[in-house]
Amino acid sequence: MIVAEVKPMAEIQDTIKKYSKVLISGCGSCVTVCLSGGAQQVEVLASSLRTAAKSQGQQLEVGQETQLRQCDPMFIEQIRDKAAGYEAILSMGCGAGVQTMAETLGNIPVYPALDTVFFGGADGQGGFMETCAACGQCILSRTGGICPVARCAKSLTDGPCGGAQAGNCEVSKDTRCAWQLIYVRLVRLGQVHLLKETTPPKARRVHPARLNRAE
Amino acid sequence: MKINAMPPCQAKCPIHMDVQGYVAAIARGDVQEADRIIRRTNPFPSVCGRICTRECESVCRRGKSVDEPVAIRALKRFASDSASVGSEVPGPETRFSEKVCIVGAGPAGLTAAHDLALMGYHVTVYESEDEPGGMLTRGIPRYRLPLDLVRSEVDRIRSLGVEIKTGYMLGRDISLQDLQKDFDAVFLGMGSEKSTCPECSGMELSGVWTAVEFLKDVSRGKKFNPGNKVIVIGGGHTAIDAARTCLRLGAKDVTIAYRRTIDEMPAGMDEVEDAREEGVRFEFLTAPEAFEGSGKVEKMRCVRMDLDKSCGGKGKLTCVEDSAFEMEADTIILATGYAPRTEAVQELCTEGGDRLEIKDAAGSTRTPGVFAGGDFVSGPTTVVQAIASGRKAADAVHRYLRGMDQSPEEQEKVLEDLDDDVARLVPEAGRQKPVCLNPGSRVHSFDEVEHVFTPEQARAEEARCLHCSLGAHVSQDCAVCLNCVLVCPYNVPRPGEEKAVIDMSQCQACGICAGQCPASAIDLRLESRTELRQNIRRVLEKAESSSHGEFNFAYVCDFSKFRPGDVQGENVYTINRPGLGRIDVYELLVPFEAGAREVLVSGCGEDDCKFKDCSLWTRRNVQKAARILESIGMDPERLKIVEG
Ligand SMILES: Cc1cc2nc3c(=O)[nH]c(=O)nc-3n(C[C@H](O)[C@H](O)[C@H](O)COP(=O)(O)OP(=O)(O)OC[C@H]3O[C@@H](n4cnc5c(N)ncnc54)[C@H](O)[C@@H]3O)c2cc1C
Ligand code: SF4
Ligand code: SF4
Ligand code: SF4
Ligand code: SF4
Repeated sequence: MIVAEVKPMAEIQDTIKKYSKVLISGCGSCVTVCLSGGAQQVEVLASSLRTAAKSQGQQLEVGQETQLRQCDPMFIEQIRDKAAGYEAILSMGCGAGVQTMAETLGNIPVYPALDTVFFGGADGQGGFMETCAACGQCILSRTGGICPVARCAKSLTDGPCGGAQAGNCEVSKDTRCAWQLIYVRLVRLGQVHLLKETTPPKARRVHPARLNRAE
Repeated sequence: MKINAMPPCQAKCPIHMDVQGYVAAIARGDVQEADRIIRRTNPFPSVCGRICTRECESVCRRGKSVDEPVAIRALKRFASDSASVGSEVPGPETRFSEKVCIVGAGPAGLTAAHDLALMGYHVTVYESEDEPGGMLTRGIPRYRLPLDLVRSEVDRIRSLGVEIKTGYMLGRDISLQDLQKDFDAVFLGMGSEKSTCPECSGMELSGVWTAVEFLKDVSRGKKFNPGNKVIVIGGGHTAIDAARTCLRLGAKDVTIAYRRTIDEMPAGMDEVEDAREEGVRFEFLTAPEAFEGSGKVEKMRCVRMDLDKSCGGKGKLTCVEDSAFEMEADTIILATGYAPRTEAVQELCTEGGDRLEIKDAAGSTRTPGVFAGGDFVSGPTTVVQAIASGRKAADAVHRYLRGMDQSPEEQEKVLEDLDDDVARLVPEAGRQKPVCLNPGSRVHSFDEVEHVFTPEQARAEEARCLHCSLGAHVSQDCAVCLNCVLVCPYNVPRPGEEKAVIDMSQCQACGICAGQCPASAIDLRLESRTELRQNIRRVLEKAESSSHGEFNFAYVCDFSKFRPGDVQGENVYTINRPGLGRIDVYELLVPFEAGAREVLVSGCGEDDCKFKDCSLWTRRNVQKAARILESIGMDPERLKIVEG
């Protein structure tokens, strides 16, 4: 899933400072799960912005709304009429959501309230970790199910840099060295021989990648 | 809120009282509402709050799995004693022309009268004695049930338009045929007070009494001198009451002789304990053979019994050979059983028998339009059974008169037991005991022995209820983030196939998950989000309009020792709520939006909180909200936790 976090309040306030009527729009999928853009966060942000405006003597009306999935125009259509009553939209979806919304609504500015940070999985209570880089050519079959592209600070694909200390990454001391993890896992799986294979260079991807549902 | 499984306390109660409903109202400090909830199914709250046999407590899930049952009866008394009298009695919505007659103004008859009057019928009650109330006014002694309370409940029933005619005895002053002519339906609730006596010689001696006659005479104010030595024979509450009454009349040495053991006594153990404290002695496995004396009883000859419990039931009794012995006595009181007097309604009895023929649980007799209930049908039972029977009969009469089918037998689904794994995590809290007059002095008067809970006791006791079945439920908005699974201190939520699943029978209703669900998909039956939010809006609007912008706002936990008004300071507006863990970050911020200067969150604190980890999550939410305040340039100190 996609993981995002709420932008610093000052930045959000700055983006909407010229408006007096803003609609905050949350997303009921990934960003709800990572506790940053669901119905509850929408309420909290709306109240915070109203309180801040009031304490500074400004006029600000904040509406709130949450779609099941912001990255599909069909869901955006459901709020088209409501959105028309606002000067700007503050999206609490991931980057994809913000863009779908901006594209679909066309003539209303849509601003992000979140920073979309990575793809990942759950890592303890309320915690998430980046585990996939969406590189387009998955090599997990050779790395014991641990992605060095996403989890190695240098995205090395053919073995460690050699700088790890006590199993920790030389770039960030609180991260386990991805290659150390890969090695341990391969030993456990009886697949250490896989380390001898080299990864063919990845073809440079042309952005944006596309996938056609019909195919 | 409609729930699909009843908590056991409610299911077990013969009139299915909404226990947690009124306990929650007491928690909110709303005794008036608690009294209203009780009165919905029970026209005798102050009576049941004192002498009910507490079937509910025997199955309370707290008692079964955690420590001791919630003191439900004492809480009911607290509510009914604290609610102001004369609180409005709503009249019937419709009026019917049919007239209903009730015979016998005991709890069964009066309940039927009450319910039928509320349904809109003209009700007349015929009572043979000169005062209504049945055993409530003439059997159960004053030290357990003060007379003025019964009178005021009866007055409320009268105020519904029920006419009570005292001094009319069915069979003597009126006949069933007369009643069938004059009324469209009849309910018979004439109790069960014909004493069944053991076969002993000497029954005719003066000083030998049957318990109900004795207690009735005492309640009528007749002067009695039982002498020094009294023996009461029997093991039910009538025996205990006769014994304790004798002590109050000056007897020095009172013994209850019962032919089985303490384990078989129909009286409640608390009554036995109270009697013991007052000095009543017990002789178990003892049965009378003869009462002896010249003109006046002087002694009882009795034998020891042997009880073989191996054969099941109450066991098999046999006399122990050569065990005869004597006990001296100035008075002997027989409390050995009662049967209904059915002479006046022979046509309704079984062929050649003296028992009423009853066709269904609603009390239909052989004759259409004539119903019966209470002890008159069941033999001696309890007040709450009599009330239940009166309620059923009222419903049956109404259906009969309106040509509707009778209600089907109810079959409630009862909430399952608490799992050991969950019960282990529930913080223990001792049961509150009402203060009682001290045994040495109370035997010199008929003053009520047990006191009502103090407000502090009621508060501590109310917080012990586990809110069975009022816990959390998950809506369609669930995004399956599984945060609830991670945060619940009792490990109740589980990942389901489509969304998270919360087992109603295990949830403790702490609301922590509801406060942490990012999709706002969790709500509590105990208090819904809509109710809470409306409440917040209402209080904030009031604060804004009446405080000229300068006010503080407080969330106060219902289960803490704080009450609205306790949070000191000028212009403090409070919201009382069941638990603080449920309050989410938005709810902490929204008062600031309305202009609050400070927001206080007041509860017991970690050591005294009834919910595991509740204060931890409350603190986390407060910290999160404080950080947001800081991020918008406001002083985070304006949000405070007040514990104590
Ligand atoms: C000493 C004692 C202590 C008790 N303690 C408890 C207790 O602690 N808790 C508890 O739950 N229960 C207790 N009970 C039992 C409880 O009081 C009865 O179960 C209950 O009162 C039964 O209600 P009822 O309406 O069926 O009958 P009753 O209360 O007996 O009322 C019947 C009424 O019908 C009247 N009546 C009788 N015959 C006629 C007639 N022919 N015409 C007109 N009127 C007539 C009677 O005068 C009486 O007023 C106690 C009973 C006794 C005797
Ligand atoms: S220490 Fe390990 S994880 Fe860190 S950069 Fe080197 S190889 Fe990558
Ligand atoms: S804990 Fe409360 S709701 Fe549950 S059985 Fe006991 S009194 Fe009833
Ligand atoms: S916390 Fe809310 S959204 Fe997440 S699984 Fe539980 S009910 Fe669903
Ligand atoms: S209300 Fe409390 S006990 Fe019930 S599921 Fe939620 S966190 Fe667990």
